[in-house]
Amino acid sequence: MVGADLSVPIVQTIVFGLMLGGVYALAAMGLALLFGVANLVNFAHGEYIMLAMYITYLVSISFFQDPVLSPIATIPAFFGIGVLTYFGVFKRLIKAPPLSQIAATVGILVLLRNLALAIWAAEPKAPPTTVFASSINIGPIIIPMDKLLATCVSVAALAALNQFLERSRLGIAMRAAADDVEAVSLMGVDVGRLFLLTTGISMALVGLSGSLIMTYQAVTPTSGLLFGLLTWAIVALAGLGTVKGILISSTIFGLADSFASGLWDARGREIVLYGLFILILWLKPKGLFGRR
Amino acid sequence: MKAKLPIAILSALLLFLPLMLGLNDYYVFLTTLILLYTSIVVAWQLIGGFGGQLDLGAGAYHGLGAIITGYFMVYHGLSGWVGLVLSGLAAAGVAFIIGYPSFRFGLREVWYALSSLALVLILQKIFLLWTDVAGPLERYIPYMEFDPLFMKSGYKVFYYYITLALLTTTFIMVFRIKKGKTGLYLMSIRENEDAAEMLGVNVRKYKLLALMLYSFITAITGGIYTSMVGFYHPTLFDSWISIQTVTLAIAGGLGHFWGPPITSVILLSVQEYLRITLGAVIIGLHQVIFGIILIIIILFKPDGVGPLIDSLTTRLVKLQR
Repeated sequence: MVGADLSVPIVQTIVFGLMLGGVYALAAMGLALLFGVANLVNFAHGEYIMLAMYITYLVSISFFQDPVLSPIATIPAFFGIGVLTYFGVFKRLIKAPPLSQIAATVGILVLLRNLALAIWAAEPKAPPTTVFASSINIGPIIIPMDKLLATCVSVAALAALNQFLERSRLGIAMRAAADDVEAVSLMGVDVGRLFLLTTGISMALVGLSGSLIMTYQAVTPTSGLLFGLLTWAIVALAGLGTVKGILISSTIFGLADSFASGLWDARGREIVLYGLFILILWLKPKGLFGRR
Repeated sequence: MKAKLPIAILSALLLFLPLMLGLNDYYVFLTTLILLYTSIVVAWQLIGGFGGQLDLGAGAYHGLGAIITGYFMVYHGLSGWVGLVLSGLAAAGVAFIIGYPSFRFGLREVWYALSSLALVLILQKIFLLWTDVAGPLERYIPYMEFDPLFMKSGYKVFYYYITLALLTTTFIMVFRIKKGKTGLYLMSIRENEDAAEMLGVNVRKYKLLALMLYSFITAITGGIYTSMVGFYHPTLFDSWISIQTVTLAIAGGLGHFWGPPITSVILLSVQEYLRITLGAVIIGLHQVIFGIILIIIILFKPDGVGPLIDSLTTRLVKLQR
């Protein structure tokens, strides 16, 4: 029965990996949208996720006493932050060369990271535990309810986004802009407004995903770096930023993360994730589904 | 030749600065740090300023220098001077291992920046797990009152002059490269990589050369740093050093020779001043200003401070006449 002994931890690791993948997908989707539609390199994406996590913390200790309800606040708040960022910085950046985009968003990264450090200090902050912090057992496999909930909400949000991109006029305009901005503007679409809404939606997704991540994890000012690189890695593997592509790619990274920390060492997970990222850039520079 | 006088004044100032600070260890330590980080910025000019590759790997090479120099000083009683050379070579080796495939497979722009940033975190975790060399505990270099052969001294002035020598060497090297063929090749790569390749520039070779020289210098700054503070730890693989370097170099003007070092001395001094005055009140606030400066410069003055210095010097020259 040696095989059975080993199969339980492996199945458990896969379950955790799939759940992580679902959450990471939502975190990466905002980045993919902004990069795909507006062709904008947002180096500070991870820092926005970190900020969403802190706001979730703030909202849940002061109002709801449970992070599960916090998306009610973070989604509109981050749509607003997106609009502000667009008018403050992104609007001038969209036509700038990539080097300027990277540099300016690195500026945002520095600003947000140190603002978080100044306000919340370096100690990890965690919200009160949610009412879902129990787990169900299927045989020997443990499924934590908080992670399962986060995954389900995340996948549901992605499904809704997919419908929006496929069906609505605005969604179609966004996908068209990803292909050819010039043509879209010739068709009478107000490109500036389109990019504004794209930034807003991208940030709203960040707000939701920050809240979901926060249901089972603590946050520090350096969390942003981890999520920034991770989400960029997912976008790199997916290639084109379709919802399906992001889901597949983030599942691969979720599994890699889970196997690294489950079967090796939790401190080594970043070696595996970023090592995988660099290998993807070398060997599959266009990602799984092609990139221009 | 017109720049002879200012350079002479600057050299004299830097040479006697510790005396002007009254040999106060704390102030000498701070100025040494500023010169150390400025050396990284000047070296970064090669890959970033001239070559146009937004490298965020400075933290990785700085950390490698710190750990390798520190390790040989602590465990093998090897002189820090040997450690510096070894760590420089090791960092150039790592730069080659990472850089060769990156340039071979055509990594550019954001993807190159991200992969170099990933390197910082990968190396940090590797040395965190590699407990024979580093691990989670700080390793201390034995204290010596003054042992120049071992490169360890209780007086910070010692490190000030080592750093000044490194900065001067780096300056001369970067200046010569800029004036020479290699600099022109690198700048042609920055302006248009495909066109440069078409015209027969060996793009991969020159990018790799710039990367290896820059990583060599950056590793040496790490070695000096670790000997000066007297310990090493995997957190010296610091993404902040990468970000700071790029921020200062871009704020100073990409590819401008004097802009980045002047900007970096000014901004780092301001940062240290704010750290002393504000840092005790609120941690991190002094670096918030860094972020704001970078955003403002990119949005409103994308060429950085460099052109400003140019117009200032031409005005000064006119005044002299």
